[in-house]
Amino acid sequence: MKLQLEKFGTTLISRELGSEAFKAFQSTLRELSPDEELEIDFSGVLTLSPSWADEFLSPLLNQLGDRLILLPSDNLSVHATLRILQEANKQSFTMK
Amino acid sequence: MEEELLTIGQAAEYLGVALNTLRRWDESGKLVAIKKDGGTHRYYREKDLEIFASDLMMFASGWIESGVEFPGTFYCSTSSIFNARLTKMEYVLMQKPGFEKLYSLIVLVTGEIGDNSFAHNLGKWPDTAGIFFGYDLEKRIIVLADRGLGVLETLCQVRPDLPSHVAAVEVAFTEFISGRAPEKRGNGLKLVREVVTDQPIDLFYTSGDAEVRMQGADKVFRVTRGQHILRGCLAKIEF
Repeated sequence: MKLQLEKFGTTLISRELGSEAFKAFQSTLRELSPDEELEIDFSGVLTLSPSWADEFLSPLLNQLGDRLILLPSDNLSVHATLRILQEANKQSFTMK
Repeated sequence: MEEELLTIGQAAEYLGVALNTLRRWDESGKLVAIKKDGGTHRYYREKDLEIFASDLMMFASGWIESGVEFPGTFYCSTSSIFNARLTKMEYVLMQKPGFEKLYSLIVLVTGEIGDNSFAHNLGKWPDTAGIFFGYDLEKRIIVLADRGLGVLETLCQVRPDLPSHVAAVEVAFTEFISGRAPEKRGNGLKLVREVVTDQPIDLFYTSGDAEVRMQGADKVFRVTRGQHILRGCLAKIEF
């Protein structure tokens, strides 16, 4: 399954909205079969902050582990945010 | 040709303040009105209002130090209003030559500092809820401020041993700790520090009597003790 993150907005900043996005996504996530991967596509996202991502990507990483795959992005805020989340969680994302 | 003057009502609308505020500012000399031929009606030049409204640091520090009213266009009472205004700033910034890639990091830094104010003071604002958020992209300056609890009081809820504002701000910018533990959070200001260190972005941040100044080419993160104790937080981002 591929998730276009921009469906949640292009400026992803606040913790509150990150948490809402995670809750909203749970119903879609139930359709993911047990051995299926979830690919996160960052294209179209203008700014991703560590607060928003910590509420969305960190719990997804806990739920899915290696089945969570992050697709490449050339956005500087995406790079910076993923770096700090990996450091904070002491866990690496699987990147494609 | 005589320059067209704005009435006090038009000026109040332009600045987003009450008529009485403009009358008070005129009497105190903060923003002096023009009076035609010795009359009592107050008029304003648009250019003067523009210059007056451009002093972002004066408004922000005046507000958090002594509750001085400021132009309403800079006020975000809720996090949604802040997000909407930040998105508008992002749109303008990303079209500015030289900022085609850097814009996202400037928005990230601004967004984290602003969102922190809302997240840490939710349900706890001592008086006025919300933040000051002003920017001038021509002058490349962004100012954020809040009249919230400040970093020390926020972090003392999880680290009651913190001895000073300086120690609290140091922790906020360097450790993965949250004022909202046991919620797992507290990575935002760490990333702000890293981004400001690596990128052509300057930061002045103050809370209580703690000050962070990261400016120029060789930026070093250091928290120092300033002259005054400020409530809440005040941040100036330059790029």
